[in-house]
Amino acid sequence: MKRIFVDIERCLSCRSCEIACGVKHSESKTLFKAIKEDPLPLPRIRVTSQQEKAFPIQCRHCPEPYCLYACIAGAIRRDKETGLILTDENKCVHCYSCVMVCPYGVIRVGGKGEVAVKCDFCQDEEIPPCVEACPTGALFFGEREEFLKIVEERRNALSHSG
Amino acid sequence: MHYLILGNCAAALNAVEGIRSVDEEGEITIISKEPYLAYARCLITNYLLGTHEEKDLWLRDEEFYENSGVNLVLGKSAVKVFPEEKKVEIEGGKRISYDRLLIATGSSPKKLGVEGEEKEGVFGFRTLDDAKKIRERTKKAEKVLVFGGGLIGLKAGYALKKKGLEVEVIVKSPCILSRVVNPEAGKLISRWLEENGIKIRTGLGPEKIIGNKEVEGVILDNGEKTKCELIIVGKGVSPNLSFLEGSGIKTHWGVVVDDHLATNFSGIYAAGDVAETKDLITGEPTINALWSAAQEQGWVAGINMAGEEKVYPGSLSANATEFFGLPFISMGRVREKENVEIKEKIDEERFLYKRLIFKEGRLIGTVMVGNVAKAGIYMALIRRKVNVEHIKDELLEDWVDAGLVRGIIEGEEGFRESISPEGKIIKFA
Repeated sequence: MKRIFVDIERCLSCRSCEIACGVKHSESKTLFKAIKEDPLPLPRIRVTSQQEKAFPIQCRHCPEPYCLYACIAGAIRRDKETGLILTDENKCVHCYSCVMVCPYGVIRVGGKGEVAVKCDFCQDEEIPPCVEACPTGALFFGEREEFLKIVEERRNALSHSG
Repeated sequence: MHYLILGNCAAALNAVEGIRSVDEEGEITIISKEPYLAYARCLITNYLLGTHEEKDLWLRDEEFYENSGVNLVLGKSAVKVFPEEKKVEIEGGKRISYDRLLIATGSSPKKLGVEGEEKEGVFGFRTLDDAKKIRERTKKAEKVLVFGGGLIGLKAGYALKKKGLEVEVIVKSPCILSRVVNPEAGKLISRWLEENGIKIRTGLGPEKIIGNKEVEGVILDNGEKTKCELIIVGKGVSPNLSFLEGSGIKTHWGVVVDDHLATNFSGIYAAGDVAETKDLITGEPTINALWSAAQEQGWVAGINMAGEEKVYPGSLSANATEFFGLPFISMGRVREKENVEIKEKIDEERFLYKRLIFKEGRLIGTVMVGNVAKAGIYMALIRRKVNVEHIKDELLEDWVDAGLVRGIIEGEEGFRESISPEGKIIKFA
């Protein structure tokens, strides 16, 4: 199953992923207009930092989805085919139950309608815009094996170049 | 294989999905005393308020039951279980055989236990039918008294206040939410509710409900007489397990289950408000009658019933809600006092509060009022039982994010992985 992976050695904290995500989830779909929207569109990915290392994080579509268990409105479901954890924003009653349990802190309440939002995996796109916008290749979209192979190649190239 | 499920709410629904994730063939029957499809019980507040109608509460449509191959028997209670014969008797005397049984019969509101409680206009706040009756009653009621300062009573009071009724909450304890949060947080929330027009009176209880057929008022235990047309009883819930008497199924506070949510009889499981599981933090037996616990337990029980093994890690007391735009969250052992270290900060003017409770270097509880962003990170720390001795002060800050704790809870299952320069696979937490 395709997922979004991160090569933590490559993130420079430029936040291009946040901007791309915000635009994708805006009304206007263009950066020029999106930044004038009120309320501002909420990015569902954010760059966090651990000591000197930065890394982008968004919904991990956990195999043990505490948010789904906690949702009192039946607004969060597990897609049978893809295993993705998807939300129905129309059903959300902004009770903060999912915010309370998300181990990554990546569900936020806000934006238009004051509802809980998180990464929806941009299923209508071939490649999620956050991944596409990443200038360093820190974000990767694809199968796990593919990702591990690419990262290995990168490390080898690094060690060969000394 | 015939799976029989008693109950049709959070635990039952998730059990169906758990069973079906393993076994697509077996027959499933659901027996429920309520006449409805499974509905979002917590949203009866929204129904009462009028933002949601009946159809907005359904958690799944009829198609779901059909596609999942579930026979629905609605409006009937189970009256007796015969574990030796693997049969359940339902109202009307019919006996149904099963191979696997799930007891997910939930709980019922506790009564006030005073004279006059049977009068028209006195309600628990638990079922869609309760909410329907209360909504009808509000047409001729001006003032409502809520007995009990727990979340259920307060949510009912909140909805009724928003509908324009005069609301007075009466609690025996010195403060509202005394079982949910610590007194400091309770006082802050209490003041917020009062500023928003809900009257709160503490140290008082009902003595007698007065009126003819319908409720007209209450005599309180200080002798005071108060007029009201509607009473909400929010004194907590007790598990529905009287039908298990004499069955041999072990009960204590609830139905006693092991780590696989199995009872003392092979093939019989329990989940949700009726099940007595262990507390995730203390390991002691407990009932955390919560929606989230019921859903997780239902899922785990379903998988075990269908023959795969899944361990239930234990339940964690956890509540989140919002009153008049002020959110608050409480999780874990927030009222524990012995051998604990507390870190807290408060901004009374802006209704902001955060309290962290540590024991032996571990986080065991968190309360957040006003700003509840990223609260789940604290829950992850509580769940993982990791040592956070070295970042106790940082954890109180608002900038806490997954980056701070990633290294600490590394190893948590997740899809995201990366590779360190040394070539080691790092699992992200």
